[in-house]
Amino acid sequence: MAVLVSNAQRRRPPARRRAPVRRIVGLSLTHLLLLGGGLVWLFPFLWTLGSSFKSPEGFFDKGLNPLPDGVHGANYSGAWEEASFGSYFVNTVVVAGGSVVLTLLATSMAGYVLARTNFPGRKLCIGLISVTLFLPHGYTIIPIFDIVRGLHLLNTLWAVIIVQSSSGLVFATFLFMGYFSTMDREIEDAAKVDGASFNQTFWRVMLPLSGPMLATVGLFTCISAWNSFFVPLVFTLSTPELRTMPVGMYSFLGENSTDWTFLCAGSVISLVPIVVIFLLLQRYFVNGIAGAVKG
Amino acid sequence: MQLLDTAAPSPAQRRPGAARPATRQKAGLWRRLWAARWSLLYIAPLMALLLTFVVYPIFGSLVYTLYRWNGIGSPEDFVGLDNFRQILQDSIFWRAVGHTFTYAIIVVPIQLAIALVLALVLNNKKLRFSSFYRTLYFLPVVTSPAVVAVVIQLMLSNFGDTLNGWLLDAHLIDTPVDWLGDPDIALGIIILVGIWQTLGYNLVYFLAGLQTIPEEVYEAAKIDGAGRLRTFFHITVPLLRPVGVMIVILAFIGSFQVFDLVQVLTGGGPFFATEVVNTYIYHLAFGGNQAQATEPNVGLASAASFFYGLMLIGFSVLQVLIFRSIFKRRAAGRA
Repeated sequence: MAVLVSNAQRRRPPARRRAPVRRIVGLSLTHLLLLGGGLVWLFPFLWTLGSSFKSPEGFFDKGLNPLPDGVHGANYSGAWEEASFGSYFVNTVVVAGGSVVLTLLATSMAGYVLARTNFPGRKLCIGLISVTLFLPHGYTIIPIFDIVRGLHLLNTLWAVIIVQSSSGLVFATFLFMGYFSTMDREIEDAAKVDGASFNQTFWRVMLPLSGPMLATVGLFTCISAWNSFFVPLVFTLSTPELRTMPVGMYSFLGENSTDWTFLCAGSVISLVPIVVIFLLLQRYFVNGIAGAVKG
Repeated sequence: MQLLDTAAPSPAQRRPGAARPATRQKAGLWRRLWAARWSLLYIAPLMALLLTFVVYPIFGSLVYTLYRWNGIGSPEDFVGLDNFRQILQDSIFWRAVGHTFTYAIIVVPIQLAIALVLALVLNNKKLRFSSFYRTLYFLPVVTSPAVVAVVIQLMLSNFGDTLNGWLLDAHLIDTPVDWLGDPDIALGIIILVGIWQTLGYNLVYFLAGLQTIPEEVYEAAKIDGAGRLRTFFHITVPLLRPVGVMIVILAFIGSFQVFDLVQVLTGGGPFFATEVVNTYIYHLAFGGNQAQATEPNVGLASAASFFYGLMLIGFSVLQVLIFRSIFKRRAAGRA
């Protein structure tokens, strides 16, 4: 250590004199690299956005260039009507919205009673939830398919909503359990003194207080449902009118591979809403991810 | 109500079947169930969903592994463990395993290295707009892999020719490259897109990990005159280790499950050159792809999937053991 200190002392004076200039140059260089890298990083999206306004000829002439040869809004109306992206969009909104509502209801209620109450079978429930994390998740889509058929939900969007939601339930329940268990017990006691019933305590006091966690879980669920491919693919194999946007894009590419500007417009229709939602609520998303890795 | 006395479980709960008479215990159980009726009602929807759509299907698919069954009607053709034998002897399955492992083993280290460097740069307190950059590099994560795969296909089919022109002019290649049709190159494209699409997760994980390291530690190192590299290897790396282990394990788990990208980009083709395990299983269960239509065999798909699940658990255990032995040796070396 002594060697280190003396070394540093010897080096320090010239370094200090140069420091501000060097730091400014260094930081500017960092910004330049980060911006340039970011432009490359987001290039596929910029190119898609630009290409969604190109004419079919311009699409080929312009190649790599993201700037369109004009503003061909017809791509959007074509994608929306001819390529059925209008109905795919509605389906996606229904699936994402339904998944968010179902997940938030089931996991916030369960997280609350698991964290704050004691009841016969509580440990069993926690054990079961934990075990599902470690069981080898096989190719369970076929048994799920059978159950959905048994419930007469086949060929409805309910099937996609329920099956899609069930994949994220365990994680969301753990998040709510953690959140409710750190909340102050006095809040509940105060509600009780005021004569609040079990239901009132949860719906009027505890749930509103868990706003940040509702946002985190809601956003996670919304993004994964919006982007989900496998579940809607399997459950809409025989009902093309129920396709969500990712599945619709995939089938459009397979069936009709010439209207590429329509596909670009479709991509934009699919990407923009979820990116906007993410940008608005991103701090909840980032907090949730960070919590997952630290916990 | 029952909320107030939740802290202490009743003696009967702590030791079921203890000295109490059976009848009284039964009455006690009903009373306890009634007292906890709201709690039970609140957890019921979650348990119903989990049991029906998560737990039961795992065991349900285990039963299918014993049948030859095309997924229509109910399984009748019992074949015992024959499905497993068939999977183990299928060279395409092992090629798919090879492709999946190749994908993971290339994607994870490259992705983690880039993410760590980016996180270190963005963690600099003096760097302004760092959350803007974080959002920028994170953005591909929130987009659908299937949609991204379509976009990449459009880009490749459009300026793939342009790119070929440049490469031909530069005499780097003799014949134009078919980016997704060439068996040797298609997997490389999938790997590139995979690195790009999921890097954001690891960036945010690393940033979260870096923020748990207290600033004082760095200041102390600075006072001691430690250089940047020294600080990185002797402070950042050891303190980041617990989070780092989680990040590596999560990154591998995610990579082993790759499906959307491959299914949309190549469908596992050309000639199974990019078939990963999840597309292989999908093709078994739903009857092949455009290139090779086969009779669906749900039993075979379930067997492949169950076997792969076991492989992944084995791999995770191995990973944990390796990490543990590395840390132990390091700790011993230090002492």
